[in-house]
Amino acid sequence: MNTPRTVSEALRDAADTPRGIRFIEHDGRTQLVPYRELLACACAIGGALRALGYEDGDRVAIVIPEISGFVTGFFGIVAAGLVPVPLCPPAQAGDVATFARHSAHIIGASHAVAVLTTDDVRPLLEPAVRQPDHADAPSVARVSPNFHTLESLQGGPTLAAPRPRSLDDIALLQFTSGSTALPKGVVLTFGNLASNVESIIGPAGLGVGPGDVSVSWLPLYHDMGLIGMLLSSVYSAIDAVQMSSVLFLKRPSAWLDALSRYGGSISFAPNFAYELCRRRVKSSQLEQLDLSRWRVAGCGAEPIRPDTLQQFADYFAPAGFRKESLLPSYGLAEHSLAVTFAHGGVSVDTVDAERLVRESVAVPVVNGSSSVRIVRCGTPFPGHSVRVVDEDFVELPERHVGAIVARGPSVMQGYFEQPEITEATLRDGWLVTGDLGYMANGSLYVCGRTKDVIIRQGRKYHPADLEAALSDVQGVAVSGVVVFALTHVDDADEVVAVVETRAGARTTDLEEAVRRRIRETAGLDVDRVVLASPGTIPRTTSGKVRRSETRNRFEAGTLVR
Amino acid sequence: MANPSADRFEQDTVEILTRLSRRPIEPTPDKELMADLGFDSLQVLELVGELEDHFNVSVPLNALTHIRTVGQIVDEVRTLASAAPGSPA
Repeated sequence: MNTPRTVSEALRDAADTPRGIRFIEHDGRTQLVPYRELLACACAIGGALRALGYEDGDRVAIVIPEISGFVTGFFGIVAAGLVPVPLCPPAQAGDVATFARHSAHIIGASHAVAVLTTDDVRPLLEPAVRQPDHADAPSVARVSPNFHTLESLQGGPTLAAPRPRSLDDIALLQFTSGSTALPKGVVLTFGNLASNVESIIGPAGLGVGPGDVSVSWLPLYHDMGLIGMLLSSVYSAIDAVQMSSVLFLKRPSAWLDALSRYGGSISFAPNFAYELCRRRVKSSQLEQLDLSRWRVAGCGAEPIRPDTLQQFADYFAPAGFRKESLLPSYGLAEHSLAVTFAHGGVSVDTVDAERLVRESVAVPVVNGSSSVRIVRCGTPFPGHSVRVVDEDFVELPERHVGAIVARGPSVMQGYFEQPEITEATLRDGWLVTGDLGYMANGSLYVCGRTKDVIIRQGRKYHPADLEAALSDVQGVAVSGVVVFALTHVDDADEVVAVVETRAGARTTDLEEAVRRRIRETAGLDVDRVVLASPGTIPRTTSGKVRRSETRNRFEAGTLVR
Repeated sequence: MANPSADRFEQDTVEILTRLSRRPIEPTPDKELMADLGFDSLQVLELVGELEDHFNVSVPLNALTHIRTVGQIVDEVRTLASAAPGSPA
């Protein structure tokens, strides 16, 4: 492994090569920016930010929909010695009000001194930041951040070199988990990032070499896009193609076109992206594609369906795609990103469904029993460990399902200014991932999660947010809502909303109103709406709804009698 | 479904919307794509991609943030197509 480097050190090394990043924006415009030029831009932005008086370690939120702008701004913030806090831009955040509220919470919680954004986004966001409308969020807006655009930072004094930072300094605040009301910022140091990135690109990971080309449409406010694709490319100084996720979602073929045209050898995406390509890339388009150089087709960030990957491999085989390229992976933001990689293609464990559910053991299926297929997620990196433990934190034998915990230099420092949640998540140096799984032949298999989070298309939704959104729908009883996901090991989450109705509410209208509100505020489709009489939802003595108990009763068929 | 007062932008958009929807819908101009027609954020972008290809336009990112109804997206592509050089409209 290379000597651990900070992000700016890695960018300076990359700037000594002739390589760089090709940006493909949402409208297909492309622009090639050598790392040398990116470094110069970063130093210019960094100089302008320092001239404004910001100091080492200050947080700067960044919300820029254009990817070239985001990347330039990101490295500029880092070059200034400041800590970037990436935010999801409004086009993909459901509606504008939700975007503004969510972003304002994160900006407040991170005590960001500045927001780096665009002239288009600023008016959507600034009012919510200036006047937080949620009294229930005490952390909001203790400092009032300044708003800057990349244009407004042009022409300032440029830095001769990025500010030197140490591996123990905070590199990044990654707000990917936690509900809107209680945002959780994952604190990562440069040491964390370097450990994870070097693991990803190193010989036990992808074995990245100078001839590799990465291609990614993954959002850069998300760990897999930012760390797995962008930073991994910079640390290995390879040619990279960074495409707008909006372009991919408009035309999934654009991803494969880029892999084909630029000789992409490494690309990661969640399960749904492989499904989308198979559904929406026409067979007539196949002959224009050359996917033969794609040697790592990584899959992660949401439950992996073996059928999806198999069908993708079959469908794109005529374009030169090799199924051995598929690389199932497991990771989470609290571990910087990657925890395990499974080399050698998709390997499936077919286990007895009934014994998995009833006894929490994963035994290979015998003829006739109903079965579930679970994808092998592989082994941890050198210097890192993964275990499956029981409730007392005792390691379980192979093929026993328990909590997945991980340890090593990639594990976060904690959640920003959230000591209680941090303490519950980091136990004796082990990260409690919140996911359930088992080990078999030394490999990790992931088969569920203990946290309440709902995952759809690689995005995480928090039941508390969805419940809050439903609280004032006409006809819904006071705090009479529970939203949860039924998780399936081999299929997407099923979203269930249990709603206690007020007397006289019209049920057909109410069901539609519930679906509509969730679509409006979260862009999420509820699979099942259960209308029930008040008192149906189990509560604690203090009156709080008990979400997991509600789910258990629903699954057992005893919730509504 | 044919509406004599609708122009080709509205007619074609309605046709594409109906094709992309997973359930029977009646996409009148006042209907909201997500709340009324049940499109998720993925389908909205799929729709935008189809409309861009069909009308040979490019919908700006900031417009995506504001488009909620069928009428708004029809207006957007109509404006973009009319502004494009060599437009047949």
